[in-house]
Amino acid sequence: MRDRGSALRSMASVPQPGMPNWLIRAGLPALVGAALVVAGPWILDTYMLNILVRALFVAIAALTVDVLWGFSGTLTFGQSAFFGIGAYALAIGFTQFGFGPWQALLSLAAAVGMAAAVAGFVGWLSFYPGSTPLYASVISLVLPIILVQILYSGGSFTGSSSGLVGFESFDLSLEGWFRLAGATVIGALVVASVALSSDAGRVLSAMRDNDERCTYLGIDTSLVRIGLTVITGVVAALAGFGYVGFSGVAAPENAGFVFGTQLVVMVALGGRGSLIGAVVGAVVIEVASAYLSSSLPFVWELIVGVAFVVVIVVLPGGLFGSLRDAATALRGRIGAAPVLALSPVTLATLERAAVAPDRNDVVVEADGVSKHFGSLSVLSGVSFTARQGELVSIVGPNGAGKTTLIRCLADGRERSEGTVRIAGHAIARLAPDRIVGLGLGRKFQAASVFETLSVADCLRIARVKSDPPSFVGASPLLALPAAARAVVESSGLAERLGEQARFLSHGLKQALELAMVLALEPRVLLLDEPTAGLTRTERQVFAGVLTELVARERLCVLIIEHDLDFVRQISSRIILLHRGRVALDGPVADVVDDPLIREIYTGNNRPQRGEVMS
Amino acid sequence: MIAALELVNLTSGYGSSSVVHGVSLEIAPGEIFALVGKNGMGKSSLLKTILSFLPAWDGAVRLDGRDVTRLAPFRKRALGLAYVPQEQALFQDLSVRDNLRLGLSDDRGFEASLAAISGWFPVLTARLSQRAGTLSGGEQKMLIVARGLIAEPRLLLLDEVTEGLQPSVVDRLAEVLAETRRDRGTAMLLVEQHLSFVLGLADRFAVFKRGEVVDSGRVDAGSAERIDEHMRL
Repeated sequence: MRDRGSALRSMASVPQPGMPNWLIRAGLPALVGAALVVAGPWILDTYMLNILVRALFVAIAALTVDVLWGFSGTLTFGQSAFFGIGAYALAIGFTQFGFGPWQALLSLAAAVGMAAAVAGFVGWLSFYPGSTPLYASVISLVLPIILVQILYSGGSFTGSSSGLVGFESFDLSLEGWFRLAGATVIGALVVASVALSSDAGRVLSAMRDNDERCTYLGIDTSLVRIGLTVITGVVAALAGFGYVGFSGVAAPENAGFVFGTQLVVMVALGGRGSLIGAVVGAVVIEVASAYLSSSLPFVWELIVGVAFVVVIVVLPGGLFGSLRDAATALRGRIGAAPVLALSPVTLATLERAAVAPDRNDVVVEADGVSKHFGSLSVLSGVSFTARQGELVSIVGPNGAGKTTLIRCLADGRERSEGTVRIAGHAIARLAPDRIVGLGLGRKFQAASVFETLSVADCLRIARVKSDPPSFVGASPLLALPAAARAVVESSGLAERLGEQARFLSHGLKQALELAMVLALEPRVLLLDEPTAGLTRTERQVFAGVLTELVARERLCVLIIEHDLDFVRQISSRIILLHRGRVALDGPVADVVDDPLIREIYTGNNRPQRGEVMS
Repeated sequence: MIAALELVNLTSGYGSSSVVHGVSLEIAPGEIFALVGKNGMGKSSLLKTILSFLPAWDGAVRLDGRDVTRLAPFRKRALGLAYVPQEQALFQDLSVRDNLRLGLSDDRGFEASLAAISGWFPVLTARLSQRAGTLSGGEQKMLIVARGLIAEPRLLLLDEVTEGLQPSVVDRLAEVLAETRRDRGTAMLLVEQHLSFVLGLADRFAVFKRGEVVDSGRVDAGSAERIDEHMRL
């Protein structure tokens, strides 16, 4: 009942045609901000304006921390280094060459170029395939420390510990600076919020939720993260450039890790994952610090620290995050269901050329595949082939190497020896996202979806590689290949497209992941115990979906399964793995009735998993 | 007799939506109780509420007559409650041996436990020094079950314990649980989809639907059909 109600409610909140959602969401706060920026100089005194200009430039740096930490899940202490690069690019440029239009342009280019180069290098170090999120955070701590050491040892070129001061800078009035900084913050906020709430921006949240799933949807997450590091690094450098252009002083503190940590504190205080929260957090802390440091020179840091602890304990979501949660809770009390999407999603079917019904190319070839963990051999010399239109079940005792075999087919870096060809291409040492590009889809053993994304967005992420997503706005149309759409509709997911995936039951999550993998339009589908924890009815639906896929789309399906009745019902062939080797490979009847199966697998009883409840 | 586990009008949920609605049931010492039902009906959430991983909104949980509704999970553990979760809740980087040791409150009984485990799941004792994360999915499941059993709990909660196990191991597991109940008088609450497994073991069953018990009774020849009927609705 609740599902239907929420669908109707989300229908009711459809915005008027011609006014995209994102425009309303970004436009109103931008207007309020613009009014503040225009009116500020008339209301505020000089001292306050002075503080606010600095605070606004710092807020831009805080915004980049929020994008990295709140949206892509990378905790970074190193944005101060990029801020410092921008600050020193200006200070060194103007000190060495004097002030002028071309010097300004040159310094700006140096700020952007240096920041991009350093960010690219740091991003590569942090996110090369196989690195962990902790690794990126540690590197982000080291970066500002190294930079400050360089600044200290730069003599008169960098001004050493006292920094650079006394250079001529832009001739702009205080009001002008205030409006420039304010407009920049609003611009950054609008661009960030539009891009992050767009279909493309949703990829960042997906990566934060489940990097591995993204990789197996064909997304090169390392490349996306490196790109994001470069963009945020350049923006932070521009903020530092503006900051020093206004203040006329570049100090090592502008690049140090203490400042980098303060940026994190600002974001946590304002509300991680809320862009306006990051700006508010930065402005509040900067302004409070400025006033307190002059009136209470020794205890102000203590006061800010205590206030920070209190806010984090009392309002774990930060100032803005808690406001948002309160609003959601209030809406919940009024009776609205937790629906993420602001507008309803319409399902559509992607047309594709029909597959010839007699296609039976060999699409999986494993030749002598072995996998060793140290002295332990999990797979030794596994060879087999599988064709389009075949459904091959892989059975075997626990620990026989079934999941390892799937992993070796889906990730070129996994196997120790042997060759694997998918759709005729040797996978060499390719990463999973590249192998997905060859036409492989993998469903994991435990349902692997994007927990904080809506069902529709989970499915959209699966289409990112084939239908490049928009950077402005979210499409109301969800176009899926027929097979994926059939799963979405038969499972009941179609009525819950706007709901967050984490609220789905175990069975629906399994269905969602299957639909996501099918949305890739794979030629080879790898399924690891897809029916675990499903009821008999759910199993029967699933069996129907699979056989249909194999018959109509000529998919090649490799499935790991313990329910022998289910295996018997759906398979065209069975491979029995035992101690890392292929023990049997043949038609269903031959393998199921082989004495070896009873000896090593089913035990003395006849298989009876089929008595699982309906 | 004082019940090993007594739930009185237990209610809990996530955010503002309740998932478990006023569940009351009793499990006697040494009794095996099966909780069955479709996916997403709140069975796992009920277990988590019994354990305090999900706070109870209303009602009471009593272990051996003692009200433990608001006790922290580790305190319930000390009172003889053990839990075998559905997820692969293991310390992936620790050895099989160390994972097992964490199931005991001290090391004294460990050697005796190993002897028992080699009878239950010989594959585990052959791999004691292997990193738990390198075990296969089914072997990890065996490890979680063994960890729960060696604690010699008075009450054991098992969530989808047959998932990912090969048929012969499922049969062995049924024997192991039956022996444990016979030898130690352990009471058990099983949440399970594998109906023939659970009905072969349990004394009583309850059907769970949308957070409530909609039917319950002693396990007999007609139980499977009775449960099937609920599942179809």
